[in-house]
Amino acid sequence: MIQWKNIKLILMRELRDQMRDRRTLFMVAVLPLLLYPAMGIGMVQMTVLFSEQPRTVVLLGADELPKQPQLLDGDQFVSNWFTIPSDADKLRVITDSQPENTDSESTDTETNSEREEILKQAHQLELELKQHQSLLDEWDKLKGKEDSSEAELLLHEITETKERLSKQFAESKIQVLIIIPKGLSKELEQVSAKLALHEPIDFDPAVSSRPLILRNRADEKSKLAFIRVQEAMDAWEKAILRARLNRARLPVSLPTPINPEVIDLAQDDQLAANLWSKLFPALLIIMAATGAFYPAIDLGAGEKERGTMETLLISPAKRTEIVLGKFLTVLVFSVSTALLNLASMGFTGKHMVNVAGTGALSRMGDLSFPSFSALFWIVVLLIPLAALFSALCLSLATFARSSKEGQYYLTPLLMVTIGLTVFCLSPAVEINPFYSLMPVVGVALLLKGMLLSTVNAGILYVYAIPVLITSIGYSLLALWWAIDQFQREDVLFREAERFEVGLWLKHLMRTKDSLPSFAEAGFCFVIIMLLQFAVMNTMRDAIQMATTAERPTRMMQLLMIQQLAIIATPALMMGIMLTTSMRKTFRLYLPRFSFWIVATILAFALHPLSQELVSSLRWFFPALPKGTVAVLQDMSDPNQSIWLILLAFALAPAVCEELAFRGFILSGFGRRGRAWLAIILSSLTFGAMHMIPQQVFNATLVGLALGMIAVHSRSLFPGIAFHFIYNALSIYRGRVPEKWVPEHGLQYFVSMGPEGLRYSWPLLLICAVLAIALLRWVTLQSRTAPGEQTESLTLSAFDRRLTDSTN
Amino acid sequence: MIHVEGLSKSFDDLRRGSIVALDSVSFDVQAGEIFGLLGPNGAGKTTCLRMLSTVLQPTGGTAIVAGYNVATHPQDVRGQIGFMSCNTGIYDRMTAWEMVEYFGRLYGIEEQELQERLDRIFTTLQMQDIRDMLGSKMSTGMKQKVSIARTIIHDPPVLIFDEPTTGLDVLVARAVLKTIEALREEGKCIIFSTHIMREVEKLCDRVAVIYKGKILAIGSIPELEEQYHESDMEELFFSLIQQHEDQLAMKAQ
Repeated sequence: MIQWKNIKLILMRELRDQMRDRRTLFMVAVLPLLLYPAMGIGMVQMTVLFSEQPRTVVLLGADELPKQPQLLDGDQFVSNWFTIPSDADKLRVITDSQPENTDSESTDTETNSEREEILKQAHQLELELKQHQSLLDEWDKLKGKEDSSEAELLLHEITETKERLSKQFAESKIQVLIIIPKGLSKELEQVSAKLALHEPIDFDPAVSSRPLILRNRADEKSKLAFIRVQEAMDAWEKAILRARLNRARLPVSLPTPINPEVIDLAQDDQLAANLWSKLFPALLIIMAATGAFYPAIDLGAGEKERGTMETLLISPAKRTEIVLGKFLTVLVFSVSTALLNLASMGFTGKHMVNVAGTGALSRMGDLSFPSFSALFWIVVLLIPLAALFSALCLSLATFARSSKEGQYYLTPLLMVTIGLTVFCLSPAVEINPFYSLMPVVGVALLLKGMLLSTVNAGILYVYAIPVLITSIGYSLLALWWAIDQFQREDVLFREAERFEVGLWLKHLMRTKDSLPSFAEAGFCFVIIMLLQFAVMNTMRDAIQMATTAERPTRMMQLLMIQQLAIIATPALMMGIMLTTSMRKTFRLYLPRFSFWIVATILAFALHPLSQELVSSLRWFFPALPKGTVAVLQDMSDPNQSIWLILLAFALAPAVCEELAFRGFILSGFGRRGRAWLAIILSSLTFGAMHMIPQQVFNATLVGLALGMIAVHSRSLFPGIAFHFIYNALSIYRGRVPEKWVPEHGLQYFVSMGPEGLRYSWPLLLICAVLAIALLRWVTLQSRTAPGEQTESLTLSAFDRRLTDSTN
Repeated sequence: MIHVEGLSKSFDDLRRGSIVALDSVSFDVQAGEIFGLLGPNGAGKTTCLRMLSTVLQPTGGTAIVAGYNVATHPQDVRGQIGFMSCNTGIYDRMTAWEMVEYFGRLYGIEEQELQERLDRIFTTLQMQDIRDMLGSKMSTGMKQKVSIARTIIHDPPVLIFDEPTTGLDVLVARAVLKTIEALREEGKCIIFSTHIMREVEKLCDRVAVIYKGKILAIGSIPELEEQYHESDMEELFFSLIQQHEDQLAMKAQ
């Protein structure tokens, strides 16, 4: 029995200990309280001091501009052309027209000489541009003879001039260069006059004389300047058009015949909610992780480092009590760090908006706080989230030998958390049933949704239940891991030994056993996943390269190669290198005959059940990727040879996947003697290998049955038979012709739906009864089996712990 | 009080592979007796004592401490022993009083009794002046005193000291040994490990010489001297080790 008195004692001690630690206090309390106000002050200062450098725009041919409406005003654009008139100050316009007021010339000789220089650069650019354009014109004339050597030469010249042009432009002090063609104003006037008289316009003015604008999109300054130039020119152009229409006594709205009206219903609090919904979940998650980080290191690795771990271990407190006490301490700090940060940021933000008044910040809307119910949900969701981080941090920190090592282990955790948070920040990502089951992501998206929509939050509360349940589940798992870490002497008493790869490999080879270790099984899975990830692109390219006719064949070939190279080979190689008995590791024993029969019938019984289960959960999963749909279609394509399909989709996976997952990985996970844990872990890895959510779900369930068969029959072969039949049934189901109508009593068991063959309730019921009975039979077998000396995976070994076993 | 039979422990080591740290060790310790484990560094003393204190799990054999098996009833064993070693540090951010009080509470001592006992122990160990000093501010000697106070706060019948004098100056080491001697007078069962001959000669009623995980000789000092015809403890020790090394060399051939 766990004594709460001890947990409370440990919790209170650790809390007091942490409160006396200046570093922790600083991180948890002082930093958030000071950081945000300091950042706020900094931001206000920055906005006050910040002023944008004016950018240089050169306009050649200013004399050709129409006098009315005016584009330029001195060395600026006319401020009316900007939505924010002060933007005109941010562009300095240099023209080639003679400055009218010569009185300032004497005072600004320096500016004048700079002006001259810039103008010179502009003229050079103009020349270069003209040459480039004449070359382009020539190219257009060459139409039809693109292959001649002449064309090649021209093309070469064109690229050369373009390069030269871009280099010159980059070296010049000009951000945007505008070249007004000769006779622009005259032509504008001409068109307007003709339009006013309703005379036909017999040329296209847009072709004859277009101004040219030179910019460099890759250069940030040029890009900004161009956006402003474009804004001014657009407004100016519209003004010219308006004047022209006026003169012709046509309605001004003529160029916009539809012109819909947009009504924005956003209210201030919604704008505020928008901001909070982005900031709060992200901050909450990152701070909950950070808040757990430092206390966990101090309580785990720090305790080892300071030599007080053993003192605590010899006290009568149980390991579980110690871990719970420490876990609760970390949890308290994680929660309070997150909440303090939120509160500090919220108040600072609100205060800053009040201070800044009409500045740029006021456009975010009034930063009123989220509603009370949203705040309540923040706290409710924060606790399981913080619990997950606390337990994870604590187990990693316990595993570490020193504080420094602890930081190495915990930094990746923090990085992953930040990655997930950034993913959730994207406006396109919304909570759905699938995301609601993912750790961290579920909480982040639910909070985002709740803070965002004050109106239709109703649907979101439906998600609150799965998010809460899974979050609590994940944190319990992490806590269980932390307790497990604390029970292991090799973790608690790890000496700082020098690590050398060579030495370690030698150790692996020397200490190898008939079965792989837990870590080796996990590593095998990681290798399979990495290999799969590595060849993913290559596979896709190879499939896309093939012609449509040979694509299915190519795909099946690749699939078989993938099964052999990526799944079977790593497992077999690791088996050869790391174990002494291939036979034991891969369970290459002949099973009793009854197992063959049971595995076969079980495959027939489980296939309809899992098929219907996945179909009924269709709403839950994201849609299948296009590639997978294509594969499924090929599989059911009646023109393909059934033998090839069976080979690629049934036999190869049956052999290869069984070797890896029921062979090496299951043996490794089962080494510690907990059969159920091994079966569950191997089926989880088996599921994860399938990548696509539907298949992950399906494979995990089937993996449980396969694991049970493998463990209790002590053989790999019934599993291979099961796997083959199961996959073959899926193939045959897909090949049932669409127009087939079940009859002769079959209609009670199956029906044809739009997605193919469906199994009806009577059949499912029979299958369920059969499956349960058979699985029950399987689990009972090892108890009646003759006392064979297997050193792992016997049920009696289940749940055996070394320490605290009697408590 | 302590009954050890065939106790073994092996570890996995990166450099040397699976190593046997303790190889089938057996001995008994009675109440009111100080039993010494004498051996060089790495002989297996700490491993043996850690198993007796249930921090490590034996890989073979049994150990019964104060009537409880360490493998099956670790909780009960921990309540009956006081354990102190150079690895059982004290908390930096706790005062001496808080530290001992905390462990007293973990042992489940009644609050009033705990305060009385704390006061008594702090007086006998002359620690009243460092009561409110933080662990980080203490000297090694003060820390050792706090450790001893922590070890005896729950008045355990069995006390285990793993090289308690390591790193102490002569004065403090002497005080520690005096305390241990006084505890024997109270009828405690004490097991004490060291690599210093003089401490064994002065303190121990019986001694076991341990080397490379094996007990080479066991008995009271006069018994050993008689058995091996060697009056000097140090000479006895070296000759035993030499003898064992010769045997190992013989076997290797």
